[in-house]
Amino acid sequence: MAEILQILILGLALGGVIALMGSGLSLVFGVMRIVNLAHPALIIGGAYITYLAFKAFDIDPIAMLPVAAVTMAAVGVVLYRLLFQREARSAKYSEMTVLLTFALAMMVEGLLGSLFTNTQRVTSPDYATAAFFIGDVFIPKGQLYAGLVSLAIIAALSLFLKYSRLGYAIRATTQNREAAELLGVNVQFISVLAFAIGIGLAGAAGSLVSFVFSFFPAKHWEWIAMLMSVVVLGGMGSILGTVVGALILSVVAAFVGTWIGATWSTLTFFLALFIILLVRPQGLFGEKPEMA
Amino acid sequence: MTKLLEVTNITAGYGDGPAIIDGAHLTVEPGKVHCIIGPNGAGKSTLLKAICGMLSIRKGDVVFKGERLNGLRPDQILRKGICFVPQERALFAKMTVRENLRMGGFILDDKKELERRIEGILERFPILRERADQHAGTMSGGQQQTLAMARTLIIKPDIVMLDEPSLGLAPKVVQEMFDIMKMMSAEGVTVLLVEQNALMGLKNADWGVVLDLGRTLFEGPAATVLADPRIQELYLGGKKAA
Amino acid sequence: MTVTLQDSSASAVIEARRTYNEKLSRKTDQTRATWFPLALLALLAALPLLQFVGNYNYVLHLVLFTASYVAMASSWNILGGFAGYVSLGHAVFFGVGGYFSGMLLARYGISTLITAPLAGLVAAAIGYGVGLVTLKVRGPSFIISSIALLMIARILFDNWHFIGGANGLTLPTNDLTVQWAKLPYYYAMLAIAAFTVWSAYKIKHSKFGLGLRALSKDEIKAESAGIDTRFYKVVAFALSAFFVGMAGAVWGEYLTYLRPNIFLLILVSANMVLMCILGGKGTIAGPVIGAILIVALNELFVATMGASEINILGTGLVMAIGLMFFPLGLVGTLARSGKLPRILNWD
Ligand SMILES: Nc1ncnc2c1ncn2[C@@H]1O[C@H](COP(=O)(O)OP(=O)(O)OP(=O)(O)O)[C@@H](O)[C@H]1O
Ligand SMILES: [Mg+2]
Repeated sequence: MAEILQILILGLALGGVIALMGSGLSLVFGVMRIVNLAHPALIIGGAYITYLAFKAFDIDPIAMLPVAAVTMAAVGVVLYRLLFQREARSAKYSEMTVLLTFALAMMVEGLLGSLFTNTQRVTSPDYATAAFFIGDVFIPKGQLYAGLVSLAIIAALSLFLKYSRLGYAIRATTQNREAAELLGVNVQFISVLAFAIGIGLAGAAGSLVSFVFSFFPAKHWEWIAMLMSVVVLGGMGSILGTVVGALILSVVAAFVGTWIGATWSTLTFFLALFIILLVRPQGLFGEKPEMA
Repeated sequence: MTKLLEVTNITAGYGDGPAIIDGAHLTVEPGKVHCIIGPNGAGKSTLLKAICGMLSIRKGDVVFKGERLNGLRPDQILRKGICFVPQERALFAKMTVRENLRMGGFILDDKKELERRIEGILERFPILRERADQHAGTMSGGQQQTLAMARTLIIKPDIVMLDEPSLGLAPKVVQEMFDIMKMMSAEGVTVLLVEQNALMGLKNADWGVVLDLGRTLFEGPAATVLADPRIQELYLGGKKAA
Repeated sequence: MTVTLQDSSASAVIEARRTYNEKLSRKTDQTRATWFPLALLALLAALPLLQFVGNYNYVLHLVLFTASYVAMASSWNILGGFAGYVSLGHAVFFGVGGYFSGMLLARYGISTLITAPLAGLVAAAIGYGVGLVTLKVRGPSFIISSIALLMIARILFDNWHFIGGANGLTLPTNDLTVQWAKLPYYYAMLAIAAFTVWSAYKIKHSKFGLGLRALSKDEIKAESAGIDTRFYKVVAFALSAFFVGMAGAVWGEYLTYLRPNIFLLILVSANMVLMCILGGKGTIAGPVIGAILIVALNELFVATMGASEINILGTGLVMAIGLMFFPLGLVGTLARSGKLPRILNWD
């Protein structure tokens, strides 16, 4: 019983972080129909920002989170203007943009690799190795903090989407871009905004990832299918769905990892993706995305 | 005759693709119903999209109340008072009727005023009141079109452009749509209508425009268009005049 | 105010309609130049003669390397170019081919040159099976499923002790002298490349190829025109795995070792895609030209900057530029503007 509780807690804490990692992906897809394969690479970008600040100035990774988020959001605006703005109305848009984001992922990986080499890195604040004990169950502080911060950020995002005028516009654009445009939403601005928020979320996730996982530039390939399965399971474009998908898959992966073997826990996510493909013939994104 | 909207010799297309509209012109007079007819693929929808700012205008001018609209975004043009209901109706399928109406007033800043206007609309369209909390996507085609048209009234626009409001509707329902359109017109809204059913469209209009291959072929009083033997032969399916 | 329709304007429109219809029906009449690839092949076949006058192993290596990518990109093109399904997981078939034949070589000493067709068949069978699941979806969904496939294969290969796990296997070398050691693989790869290009040509001009191109434009229409799209797609997937598997088989023995991080690399997949995009998706000459361009570019990056990270960065950059500014690729862009030189028209 204690073992199950233990696995559950670890899975949920990690699930929170994965939810944050996936939420930006989901948001960007919802508003712009861009399947951003570069999202995990940009998360790693955020992780390096945090790592550098930690190594050079001993700044706490969680304290660094806003900086990483804002920096990456700015990067997002630049990327949007450079890469995606002119494609927005092309006919083969969605397929084109996937390949474009794939190319972007390689560029980010190559750039980070040239700057920081492919050595494994991790930030090590005190809490990363500490734990709370409740009876037999231990809760690693690092994962707990990361999970809680993630969920707090997602809650703030949800409130913003639900109650602010801009959030309203983002949701309308997610549902029906043309209709939103015709009813007076400046969808170009909304697109840049959503992209910036999405990549900003990647930056924020990067800060937390930096002490939860070890990372190196090429690590993002492992994450892309993981995040895709999470986001797809929850319904692409739905933030709440992403959270649910992340928590479920992460818990399943935690059980697989403990009972079958650590190697196979990653496989959980990929297999989930294929199972979704099997049971949802209309495709991963075939449905109109739900609202947050 | 004062002109509300004047389109002169515009060229427009999708992305950097070929020009779909090339040499189209159009005059819109306040308070009247204008009907654009033409075969499939003539560029009727494209013309409306160009006017409302969804496509960029490569050449020519769109002038509204003496002001050039070229290069403005759709949301800016909407704020000037031109509202567009596209062929696909642009509803939010997963929002309720009331939420759709609320989105219709997105550009209004006064929330109280917005709610008052929504009430007004629901008052006038009992079918919408009946279904106020139903998702728009689950309504019938006619109800959806009614919602799309009614929604434009929330911001009290000068011009409403309707792209084939009769598309896919039963004849009886089509008549209802034309009735709504006439009601809008009677309230002083200027209507610019694209209609596949040319005969029906022109009979309900004051002004007719024939568009083919992206250019305006003819523009004049609806009765004249209806009576012209060549137009009858080419576009109204009539063979009687030779 | 009365306006009547002018005679002239009506006839002008009728005239315009007529020319418009003609333009649609007009076929582009371009003579192809099949002699050029044949001459190129003959030239390359004679190239090893250089070994009599000096050590040109590096040149042979470059040609062999290019030939392997010509085969892989042309093979990828059958699914990605003709049928319009972009796969980023084709490295899996490269690995399957390499490991299948490599294991036969390691265990029973049978050269991969003999077992390569078998490796191709195994790759094709796996492609067929995977295609049954993933080809239900298209566009972004399919692309992602293909990446997931590669990730799954990587985990399996890394942890499968029978085939050496992450450390891989060493394969026996042949007993030719250094001067001639490359030759068997050189000719084998050249033959595979030529066979792939020829097959791609045959497929493109068959009824099957026509069906693929139809479904790449509009699957529903193709379906209603009586094409069994599901069967077509899955067979296209199998075919496009087949040649990649063959190339992998020979490549393994040529390298003399097998390792997941050499074969199951996203960069290998990316290169196939990139070559087709740069050269021209769906054309016959495109993947060949793309392969030559990318290998040359790779050499340049590695020679001038000497780091694989820079190579990844460069590959991404070239891909982004190609996608944004020449989405039709070299051959496609030239063909559209009617400027395609005859020697590049192999279609
Ligand atoms: N999104 C688009 N991208 C590229 N070309 C388009 C697009 N939409 C329409 N076209 C092309 O523009 C031309 C005119 O289309 P348009 O929709 O304006 O015709 P229409 O007169 O409204 O026809 P219909 O009566 O069928 O609605 C057609 O040849 C069509 O192929
Ligand atoms: Mg139309």
